[in-house]
Amino acid sequence: MKTLEKIEVDALVVGSGIAGLQSALDLADQGYTVAIVEKNPSIGGKMISLSKVFPTLDCASCITTPRMASVSHHPRIQALTYSTVDGIKREGKTFTASVTRKPRYIDEKECISCKRCEEVCPVYLPDEYEQGMGAKKTISIPFTNAIPQYPVMHPEHCIRCGACARACPKDCLEFLQEPAPVEIKAKAVILATGYETTPMTAKKQYGMGALPNVISPMAAERLLAPHGPYGRVLRPSDGMVPGSIAYVQCAGSRDKSIGIPYCSRVCCMYAIKQAILLSGSLPIADITIYYMDIRAFGKGYEQFYNNARAMGINFVKAKVARITEDDKHNPIVRIEKQEGTSAPEEVKHELVVLSQGLVPACDGTKFNLGVGNNDFGFVQLSDETSSSAVTAGTGVFAAGTVKGPRDIPDSVVDAGAAAMEAAAYIRRL
Amino acid sequence: MDEKVKEEASKDNYRQEPKVGVYVCHCGGNISDIIDVKAVAAALAKYPGVTVAREYAFMCSSNGQDLITEDIKTLGVNRTVVAACSPSLHELTFRGVLQRAGVNPYLHEHVNIREQASWVHKLDKAGATAKAIKLAQAGVEKVLRKDALNAIRVAAEQRVAVIGGGAAGMKAALAAAGKGLEAVILEKTPRLGGKLPELGKMYPSGEEGAAVAKKLEDLVLAEKKITVHTGAEIDFVSGFVGNFKINFKKPDGSSAQVKAGAIVMATGYEHYKPYKGEFGYGEDGTVLTLPAFTALMKKLPAGRLEYGGREIKSLTLIHCVGSRQVEGVHKPQADGKINDYCSRVCCTAALHAANQLKEKYPGVRVYDVYRDIRAYGMKHEEYYDKASKDGVLFMRHNELDQPVVVSDRTGHTVKVKDVLTWGEELEFKTDLLVLVTGMTPADISLIKSQLKLPSGADRFLQEVHPKLRPVELANSGIFVAGAAQYPMDSTEVMASAGTAAAKAAILLAEPDIPLEPFVAVVDEHKCTGCGLCPPECSYDGALMMGEHNGKKVAVVNPALCKGCGACVAVCPTRAINVAGWTLEQFDAMVDAIAKE
Repeated sequence: MKTLEKIEVDALVVGSGIAGLQSALDLADQGYTVAIVEKNPSIGGKMISLSKVFPTLDCASCITTPRMASVSHHPRIQALTYSTVDGIKREGKTFTASVTRKPRYIDEKECISCKRCEEVCPVYLPDEYEQGMGAKKTISIPFTNAIPQYPVMHPEHCIRCGACARACPKDCLEFLQEPAPVEIKAKAVILATGYETTPMTAKKQYGMGALPNVISPMAAERLLAPHGPYGRVLRPSDGMVPGSIAYVQCAGSRDKSIGIPYCSRVCCMYAIKQAILLSGSLPIADITIYYMDIRAFGKGYEQFYNNARAMGINFVKAKVARITEDDKHNPIVRIEKQEGTSAPEEVKHELVVLSQGLVPACDGTKFNLGVGNNDFGFVQLSDETSSSAVTAGTGVFAAGTVKGPRDIPDSVVDAGAAAMEAAAYIRRL
Repeated sequence: MDEKVKEEASKDNYRQEPKVGVYVCHCGGNISDIIDVKAVAAALAKYPGVTVAREYAFMCSSNGQDLITEDIKTLGVNRTVVAACSPSLHELTFRGVLQRAGVNPYLHEHVNIREQASWVHKLDKAGATAKAIKLAQAGVEKVLRKDALNAIRVAAEQRVAVIGGGAAGMKAALAAAGKGLEAVILEKTPRLGGKLPELGKMYPSGEEGAAVAKKLEDLVLAEKKITVHTGAEIDFVSGFVGNFKINFKKPDGSSAQVKAGAIVMATGYEHYKPYKGEFGYGEDGTVLTLPAFTALMKKLPAGRLEYGGREIKSLTLIHCVGSRQVEGVHKPQADGKINDYCSRVCCTAALHAANQLKEKYPGVRVYDVYRDIRAYGMKHEEYYDKASKDGVLFMRHNELDQPVVVSDRTGHTVKVKDVLTWGEELEFKTDLLVLVTGMTPADISLIKSQLKLPSGADRFLQEVHPKLRPVELANSGIFVAGAAQYPMDSTEVMASAGTAAAKAAILLAEPDIPLEPFVAVVDEHKCTGCGLCPPECSYDGALMMGEHNGKKVAVVNPALCKGCGACVAVCPTRAINVAGWTLEQFDAMVDAIAKE
């Protein structure tokens, strides 16, 4: 192990999605020093991989990249990427976090992000950033606007051919690099660890992820994104342009059978948004949204929903009982309509998106700082009518979807409030 | 000048030989799918004065910004044109790049080839490309004529004025005080708490609204940095960021003034008031709004539900009254507009009320007539579940098939075309009708007109951008907290108010605030003192007649001037220019665009 790197700051922010970035900026802009720890190789969280965002249809990059750039240029913010928080201890008024920087197998001080290593690497891997639809090299920069622009090498896939090391003009490949320990001392902690989507395998009636043309909404985001895996919307099984696309709402929310009884708040809106974007890129495609209730409750959302209906997107109040496929991998959706007719119907589509819900990405209680969870594993507020960010752990605050599903505007507002609670707490110390 | 304005704007031209860098952004396809960005960059590379022209996927990303920094360092670029999205999104981003690289940030010109070219000419790619080239060339001509400017710095009052003493106002004041700022709450009613005390039992915490109000009020009153003025009637609000003045009348009739560096608008909402005859409202006493019903339920004894001297055996909730209105179906509001927005909190509030009713009076039949049940919050779905289990009968109608209520002395007959029973026309009798009313913004027309605050089509205060600047109004130094912006529940109000306080604290983190230097500048030699311009100025005290070397001339107060240019337009001698937007620059831009 390398020698221990020590960092001392006012606040530690765990997670660098939009909530973590915003909390860090709102603290640093008030004069506090902040360290962000992010487990992925780039800051930006889930939002940076989205296509466009409702209800304004700004491209997600246009909103996220400047936030990422502000964080990376901020004199009072340090972001530790590709690093994990292994534990946090409270000692008096100070938190001490033990953090591990995972090895990228390059010398970050020397790397000039020229991508030569990536160009010459002969081993391709499925690209998780593209939801497995594209390929990346075993040594590669995670995505176009990643911050920092360092490549990451995956030793488990490396064939030790040495091509990257020979191509590197700065001789910065370090095949023997080891994890590096970091100790961060902070006065307050903000948990902004975000969410994951309910897994494709959550519901056996919906194909368990085995039907190639039944995809996740994150995959649909990548298909629609400007730098997506195919550069256009194609279905995975055969690369056909889908002429009929269906959204299955509440596929992982409001469903006691999978232990997720709550509403995930964002799925109605992202489905409507994707439907609008799809009708832009595939003008002749039929797009159907099977739903229970359309929950367009935010500012400008109802109008957004009305626009989608005016564009000809087909909203059908129906519960989807089962999804199978025909011999051409066309998904067959068995629905029970709750309007019009009562008999169950089977409808053939060419691509189906499961509007998955949101589940916690990280257990907020694992650091044993007194933070409590609600029944569904999200961080519980200690008094929700007097603060939106104070947890039961003294000095520990929560921002964004770590407390439960919420959309981007709500997360940004929420993160500012978490920063303010942390600032007040630090001042009182 | 009692505003202690420090005018640092240097009138020196930027003396170095101009070297313009032009950067054309793909905006990840938003621009490059329509516009041939390579052609734009190539055309600009040949344009006089341009040192380098490049194109890149996302100029706003860190990599894109680094391209500019690199050109500044290696090629000596000292003026930039970025042809990309709207300047409202990213002009500041690129000014920041110049500043970090040691170039005056105002030597940047942001050309909008997305909203003004690629998005509006989707079917004419060649035309859009030609237009983008022209716009970028005009940008080059403008930036070549730009002067280095410095932000105007204004000393700021280290105090936040919070207008409204409800949940949002109290939280905003508490959060600001928590950061060490002084906060003053101005509340028009005689007490703090706003609408909280009327709310009854709140979801999902189960606390009584009055108890929440008391809890927050106790915190406010215990905080030494917060001053509370209840019964304060605001007369006049003036000033600008860092130096607002709020004049108000105290309950005893005396006048007082609060000076503040920032204002938080926490002016809240009103319950939608149904018009007379809307589902029978106002015609007899057995049509209530949900808030009225909640207040009533608190008072009535358990056992038998009696109202108006009659036993209530059945009750019907009708959702979306005053919300999600549809053109041609609903009667427009006083301003001619319909309330086409969702009021967000009423579905769960209605379910919560139905559950409480069922608990207290299990024998009462409850019908719930809705369009979509929007129980979106973490535990809200449980209310829906409980109501279904307890026998609340749900009927769902389409927006075009509004329920019809016919009332007589025996009660109400409700007709619903119910999609859940496949379009069956259902008709049933009910004793009491509860209209689930939405929220409308509180009447703040006086402050809105005096401070020229923006509101959206929904009449709520309008933020600059829902994700980039979600609690900032376009007026610098004024923030919005709580339901003055949009309907929200109490925890969401806490978040919104906390963030509004955070933005105020960031603004006031330094003792003086930088203001944009885009203000009117008078050339005293050209000014003839004709006096035509002051009457055109909309900002009190920004432009007045004064003296310069014994000559009568127009004089600008840069802290008050908003750079609107009204004075420029009337000046017969072209003696006034707005810094950064001069007539010479416009002439050159027009020439560049009109050139064959």
